[in-house]
Amino acid sequence: MTKPKTREMPRPDISLTSALGLPAVYVKDARKSFGDKEVLRDVSLSIKQGEVVSLIGPSGAGKSTLLRCLTLLDTFDSGELAYGNVRVCANVPGESRTTYDKEAERQARMRFGIVFQNYNLFPHYTVLKNVMDAPIVVQKRDPKEVEEQARKLLERLDIADHADKVPDQLSGGQQQRVAIARALCMNPQVIYFDEATSALDPKLTQDMHRLIRELAHDGMAVGIVTHEMGFARDVSDRIAFLFDGQIVEEGTPDEVIGNPSDPRTKAFLANAED
Amino acid sequence: MTGMLLNGYVVSLQIFALTLIGAIPLGVLVALGRLSRFKPLSWLVGLYISLMRGTPLMLQMFAVFFIPYYLFGQQTGPDYMFVAVMIAFIVNYAAYFAEIYRSGIQSMPRGQYEAAQVLGYSRTQRFFRIILPQVFKRILPAMGNEIVTLVKDTSLAFSIGIAEMFTTSRALVASQRSMVPFAIAALIYWITCLVIEFVLRRIEKRMDYYHD
Repeated sequence: MTKPKTREMPRPDISLTSALGLPAVYVKDARKSFGDKEVLRDVSLSIKQGEVVSLIGPSGAGKSTLLRCLTLLDTFDSGELAYGNVRVCANVPGESRTTYDKEAERQARMRFGIVFQNYNLFPHYTVLKNVMDAPIVVQKRDPKEVEEQARKLLERLDIADHADKVPDQLSGGQQQRVAIARALCMNPQVIYFDEATSALDPKLTQDMHRLIRELAHDGMAVGIVTHEMGFARDVSDRIAFLFDGQIVEEGTPDEVIGNPSDPRTKAFLANAED
Repeated sequence: MTGMLLNGYVVSLQIFALTLIGAIPLGVLVALGRLSRFKPLSWLVGLYISLMRGTPLMLQMFAVFFIPYYLFGQQTGPDYMFVAVMIAFIVNYAAYFAEIYRSGIQSMPRGQYEAAQVLGYSRTQRFFRIILPQVFKRILPAMGNEIVTLVKDTSLAFSIGIAEMFTTSRALVASQRSMVPFAIAALIYWITCLVIEFVLRRIEKRMDYYHD
């Protein structure tokens, strides 16, 4: 069988990105269709380092598709996507579809992490191995150094006692924290949460709020897709409201949720009240 | 008498072990071929699997045995008999194993692939580190069935004159005008299967440290 490539994986170079003042995530005029259905229509969005941005909107608005494209699990039809100074795809003149750069994709993957809605932990690995495996195997880092970081992360997320258990021995909230540790151990610049708090009780939601603010304080860009308006309002620096594939309103939580100007946002929020 | 039977038993065990050693990894390749997005390959492998499952193993053995003669007009030596049996067994069982692997691979939730992809694992790493170990646990019961069947299928080598246990027991039955050798052979097959079932249960238990 083919041996894994021994090529060195580049570690994210945060200094260059911040020196250039580039946003951690940058999307411009992104479009995506499934057959005749236009799912994303000229979406532009960026997240700066240290900024928490929530994406809200009704089901079917395109939130999941946007998140899948941002995490390179799917591709935009046209538009531009960049992680800091790494441009993943862009429109080339004369081409109808946007062009993805394989090497840039690989580099970009090292710059973001995602906490999936159902966590997608590896069930056959212990908690510690879930967190350590990719940094060692993919980033080719020193196992000792990785273990040290992994244990610190588990400590910080209050699951150090469960390091040697397997995921199915943990509660949903604990599994989510393992997923967070797994993402953070790759030292990303951006972390995405898909439905960060939908499975959490009020106490855990509060913990999550604190954690996200801490991450932002440390300079990480945080992108959240959520249905929980209260949480989005409390935790975000900026909120984007996605409706029918378009960002129809964007601004601070007070602007978008407190005082929406677009009738579609108003209608959505009125329904979300209860 | 038992000496002759045991000699035959050793040959049966050889066929059994060599088939597993060859077919278990070959089945992975066949399964990957079947699942390939390159359609011609997938169809070709599908045809092969269908042929292997749709015709008797005994016939396949004869085919492998006689093909060199009809194709190249070459007389094959007596050594080729055993080689022909092994080729037929491995190629046949790889097809069955491949179908079990395929069902296991397809039962894996998409989220496992996606999590691995986002973490930057290459396709090969993803398959061998994340997917295959989990598939192995899922297919163990089905594989157990096939492996027990293989123990008894080794007796088919009788048909092209390999001196495995069934062949020797039949010779003994003829020479001694007694059914006892058959009874002993049956007992030995049965005990072998019991041992294998025991081992498989142990492996299943060891894999039971997680549920998904």
